[in-house]
Amino acid sequence: MGDTSISPTPRRANSALWHGLLITLFGIAAEFFYFLRLPPPINHVLPWINLLVPVFGLIYLFIGLARAFGKPAVYRGKIWGSGVTVIAILLLAGNVVLFRHTRDVPKSAHAPQVGQHLSEFTLPDSSGQQTSLSQLFAASVDGSQPKAVLLVFYRGYW
Amino acid sequence: MSANLRRKAGYTFTFLSDPKLEVIRRYDLLHVAGGPDGHDISRPAEFLVDRSGTVRWENFTEDVRVRPRAEEMLAAARNIP
Repeated sequence: MGDTSISPTPRRANSALWHGLLITLFGIAAEFFYFLRLPPPINHVLPWINLLVPVFGLIYLFIGLARAFGKPAVYRGKIWGSGVTVIAILLLAGNVVLFRHTRDVPKSAHAPQVGQHLSEFTLPDSSGQQTSLSQLFAASVDGSQPKAVLLVFYRGYW
Repeated sequence: MSANLRRKAGYTFTFLSDPKLEVIRRYDLLHVAGGPDGHDISRPAEFLVDRSGTVRWENFTEDVRVRPRAEEMLAAARNIP
């Protein structure tokens, strides 16, 4: 004969939702960890972390929502829990799209391998002057000549 | 564009331009339609080359967000006699 809308015990905080919120916030912050210049192997695993953290957050959030909607007399958080869950779903979806885009990199199976010899090339520098690979070895910064040259190919549209 | 960036950022290293994707193609680094508006661009790649023109170290990332650290490249350079 109990009237559940007038409950003498106060509602509990929904810890699963709070965990889910913290994990989701961490997931948002983790998008920017690339700028921290973390060392390997952490930097190699970062794309996977960006993918998995929102999944963990959503597990907690769904548990929390099940409690909030299943036992509203006991657990809070139907509204804010739902809001955070929507954000977490968007974060996960965004990360899936981003993950597929950033890993869309050609195989380059025929690129020069370690031990192979690079053929000479000549390309213009930023002042328009033709520069060859061997000329890069002739250039000296502090009076001595370089023992190696680092060629960095980048995606080149900025 | 690179000349401006170079000046503003104070870079001292050499920027080279490969507008016809000549060297990019030769080294099999072409990323067809990889750029905005569907432009062909290079994929990211780094080669450490010694005076004889031999590749001593290289890096091909699987994810464009993951880049080699300077420490890795410098360590490889120190190994060259």
